[in-house]
Amino acid sequence: MGATASHLGKDLLSEYQELTFLTKQEILLAHKRFTELLSREDKNLPEPRAPTEAILTLPELKSNPFRERIVRVFSTSESRDGLTFEDFLDLLSAFSDSATLEIKSHYAFRIFDFDDDGTLDENDLEKLVNCLTGETDDTRLTPDEMKQLISNILEESDIDKDGTVNLSEFQHVISRSPDFVSSFKIVL
Amino acid sequence: MSHYSDGSFYNPAYHDSETLELDRRPPFKPRHSNPYAQDPPPPWQAARASAVSTVTGPRANADPWEGGAGRGLRALGALPLGPRPSQHQDPPPWQRPPHHSSVHGGGSYHDAAAPSRFPATFSANMTMRLRGMRRMSMFPNGDPSHLSITEGAIRNELEYEEQNLVKELMACSTKERIEGIRKLPMTYHEKKHIRNRVLASKSSKKSRHLSCLADCSESMSLILTGGMSLQSLRRCASGVAAARQALDLWQGTMKEVGGSFGSSVLSYFLFLKSLLLLNVFSFVVNFSFITVPMLAYDHVPHNVTFRGLELLTGAGYFRYTVLYYGAYRAGSFTGLLHYNIQLAYFFTIAAYMVLCGAAVLYSMASSFKMNYVLSDPVGGGSWQLLCTWDFSVTNEKAVRQRKNNLRIQLKESMSERSQGTRLTPAEKLRHFGIHLGAWFVSTSMAVGCGNAIYYLSQYEQQQATNAEDWSLAREAETLLVPFVVSLINLVVPLFYSLFNKFEPYSSQRRQIYALILRNVILKMSILGILCYFWVHEVAHKFSCWESRVGQALYRLVVFDFFFMMLGSFFGEFLSKVIGTRWIPGLGVPEFDVARNVLDLIYAQTLAWIGIYFSPLLPVLQIIKFLVLFYLKKVSLIQNCQPPRRVGRAAQMKTIFIALLFFPSFVGSLSLVAYTSWSLTPSRLCGPFKDLDSTFSVVGVWMTSLEGVPAAAWAVWVYVNVVRSEIFYFLVTIIILFITFVFWQVTQGRKLLILLLRQQIVNEGKDKTFLLDKLQALQKSHPTQHPKSKIKKQRRSGGSSTGVRSSSNAMVQTFLSVEQGSRGAHPREPPSPSHLSISFQRTPFASEGQPPSDALGLTLRAGQRAEVHQPWTPPASDPLGHPPWTPPSADPLVRVMRARDAYDGPPVPLDGGTSSGVMMQVMEARSRAEGGGGRGAPERIGPGSSSALIQAMLARQQAQNEYDDGY
Repeated sequence: MGATASHLGKDLLSEYQELTFLTKQEILLAHKRFTELLSREDKNLPEPRAPTEAILTLPELKSNPFRERIVRVFSTSESRDGLTFEDFLDLLSAFSDSATLEIKSHYAFRIFDFDDDGTLDENDLEKLVNCLTGETDDTRLTPDEMKQLISNILEESDIDKDGTVNLSEFQHVISRSPDFVSSFKIVL
Repeated sequence: MSHYSDGSFYNPAYHDSETLELDRRPPFKPRHSNPYAQDPPPPWQAARASAVSTVTGPRANADPWEGGAGRGLRALGALPLGPRPSQHQDPPPWQRPPHHSSVHGGGSYHDAAAPSRFPATFSANMTMRLRGMRRMSMFPNGDPSHLSITEGAIRNELEYEEQNLVKELMACSTKERIEGIRKLPMTYHEKKHIRNRVLASKSSKKSRHLSCLADCSESMSLILTGGMSLQSLRRCASGVAAARQALDLWQGTMKEVGGSFGSSVLSYFLFLKSLLLLNVFSFVVNFSFITVPMLAYDHVPHNVTFRGLELLTGAGYFRYTVLYYGAYRAGSFTGLLHYNIQLAYFFTIAAYMVLCGAAVLYSMASSFKMNYVLSDPVGGGSWQLLCTWDFSVTNEKAVRQRKNNLRIQLKESMSERSQGTRLTPAEKLRHFGIHLGAWFVSTSMAVGCGNAIYYLSQYEQQQATNAEDWSLAREAETLLVPFVVSLINLVVPLFYSLFNKFEPYSSQRRQIYALILRNVILKMSILGILCYFWVHEVAHKFSCWESRVGQALYRLVVFDFFFMMLGSFFGEFLSKVIGTRWIPGLGVPEFDVARNVLDLIYAQTLAWIGIYFSPLLPVLQIIKFLVLFYLKKVSLIQNCQPPRRVGRAAQMKTIFIALLFFPSFVGSLSLVAYTSWSLTPSRLCGPFKDLDSTFSVVGVWMTSLEGVPAAAWAVWVYVNVVRSEIFYFLVTIIILFITFVFWQVTQGRKLLILLLRQQIVNEGKDKTFLLDKLQALQKSHPTQHPKSKIKKQRRSGGSSTGVRSSSNAMVQTFLSVEQGSRGAHPREPPSPSHLSISFQRTPFASEGQPPSDALGLTLRAGQRAEVHQPWTPPASDPLGHPPWTPPSADPLVRVMRARDAYDGPPVPLDGGTSSGVMMQVMEARSRAEGGGGRGAPERIGPGSSSALIQAMLARQQAQNEYDDGY
């Protein structure tokens, strides 16, 4: 623990604490886990970036159906893969216990927005449902069921009737499903 | 495209003329109208789009979430500007201020929620959040390059947003600022950037204004802490938080349980943990304020030998220990300080009960606020199912199982929805009968159990005597009642579950609620009977009845513990063995959260009741909960499978906390209160043996204080507040009044929510409408025109555009219009009146077509608008212009109306007469304009466009009327 703490530096640590919802212990643990993901040559870089494959080996993400999306959403690189330590902290901060509903729903929306176009349209919803029920053919819903499900969803949540669910509509739905806050959580 | 965003869009004449006819369509279109999605990109745009993909990869730079300044700008810097027209050198005039109706595509929708519209009472956080939202909705359509905003405009916009944000953050105090920055939905670097900007501008500002209001608290705390810097304070606070987290009990276990069973099962363990902490607190308080002084003061050792059975019965050896009320004695010792054990006993227990009540009440209220008030009472389930995927589940197998369960649940919810279960009256009657029968049986079972326990207790009491020396057999006899009680608690709920299986319930939630309610009735009736028995029979018969009640409670707690273990053995282990070995159809059992939580609530009720009679009962409770935690964990992981149904865990949690408060805590509090106010303490033992009631200890204390001048206020409070009925009367009145006010506020809020919802719907309609309009505009002008050319182009009429792009939808639309009317007017010479006639007939002609025909729809819509508001000349123009003269501009109006048809998608046409018709239309149009110009040249301004202007004005008027009607 002491070694990692000296790695991070006191000022940096307090800055991390100020800008994320994480506590000192969580940041240190995150740093430890993150450095484990880096390859040897990466460690010497000024801003090391853990590759997506390495991130996905984390047990907390390994079996998550949205793991690729999560990494993509939190990545700040041009090619949208790999996370720097700051990205990683962002991820943990959004999924932490103390993050606000706004932050959580914002990132949930982005994770569910598969084509990154700012709204959840039918394709996004279909992908979302497929992610949740399993991708293989025998677990997937039939096209009819899918169609009905998506129309149900839109009927429930598409308040302005534009055929898509935008962020505020999504947040409206989220605020009405109280389980969300407790379930949108990843703890290292 | 980009000519819309150049100043021309704000040229009202241009604006109005363009919207002249388009507005007449019904503004609601139930489809997603991304204006860019459907029309084929014009050649220049396609070229640019390909440039996008070649230069920066597909959409990499166009991420709508690149909201923050740093990355947003970076992305913009990478905007490919290949064949971009060069007309954007001068910054468009609409840029600043940005919050009038600037056209950012769909992005301006959020701009409608600009903070300036909110009342000033909204907190800074609110606006900041909105800002955050707006920041990321800059490019909601993914590709900003097809919005016609210049690079500089976007950069300015972002810069402006950021400046506002920084300003808002600067107005906050330090704590709010940190919170505010933390809550921004941005990446780490953006947050850091904002923070640095705020800090930089703050320090520069500080040198100028030293006493900023927002910094008041900061400087105050600086003064208070002397040399201690704020940073170290903050560090201290975070250190406390970290220490709390390190102390967090069973974090690893909780993670494991949550990782493989999800949050609903986890909530049981969290509940258990919080109860455990409550008991630890109660033990610490009781031990340190009652037991330690008692032991220090005067503890008389007794000579009863320990026989072993005491561990079960709590009698015998324990009877004379500080475990029970009887071992405490009145008295006060004066060493360093005056300590009165009577007062300590009373006030410790009173304070504990009050604190417990406050804690439970608080958590109940906040849980209600979070989970009930906000949650949708009717809302369909499918979406809720989707958005509550448990991200904390990490176990591979559990994830698979969860997916499976979710799929089944989704299918179920859909089939329920599609069936729309309508029951016949006979079925309804039958269901009602079954419910009634089940309720009758379960309630009578509860009543029967209560009666049985009452008579059993009476029997036991008759056997018991005041004799001091009990034989082992006599001692063992006392175990009968707790055994029966615990047995009832174990067995009867199984019957209830059985009924539940046969009862038809429309929703699973109702089923669970019914089950919970029955169990609660059973448990509370048993406890109620026992309490009644203790208060009315035991209290009057035995010499040291408090200790006796304490022993009874001890036995109940111990037996409850054994039966809980048995329950988890039978309920989970055995059914797993049965389910896996003998009857595979049953399968591995699920962990029944509801039943287990009810058991916990029952156990805690016993502990609360016992707090007066046996102050150290929490020790037993702590041991019990600790063992139970590990036992349940092992049993869960070994025997159970994750719950099949997901969702509603939070609401269940709320219900459990409510149950813990209402029958459990309130019941035990009332029992303790009744005991201390109304019952006479036993004369032979206990701290209050010389008093009429426990509460009178306060009166005695007050009389002793009367002579002390420093305590005069306490006496006054006692006489005038505690003992006066008027005070309680007033308090009751005030609370009732406050409740009423809040109830009214709630009603008002409900209404407000309805209204706001309606407003959202309306705004959505507006958005769709505007987007459609924009789309139509784009279709009619697919080529780019520099700002200067637009006027000219408008003057020459839309026909020039049509000529230039022969593949345009407009041409085809016109052709189809003509085709539709050709039956009525074949080859008529072109004239405005004929055109209008033909146009009016077209809708009827296309009536038979399928509704998917967009053109037909549009035309019909136009027709409807026409029918709804016959063209009446307005009496006076709102803009002060001379009245409208119909004859001169009528042809123009009609032609304009015909332009409605531009909206429709290209309609396949069957060759032939195309160019001729086109020419006719153009001719009609130019003639109409010419006629308009001739008709009113002297009244309205010069030039041939005057008719056009008039038409615009009239259109405006018509639009106003139309809006009113709408």
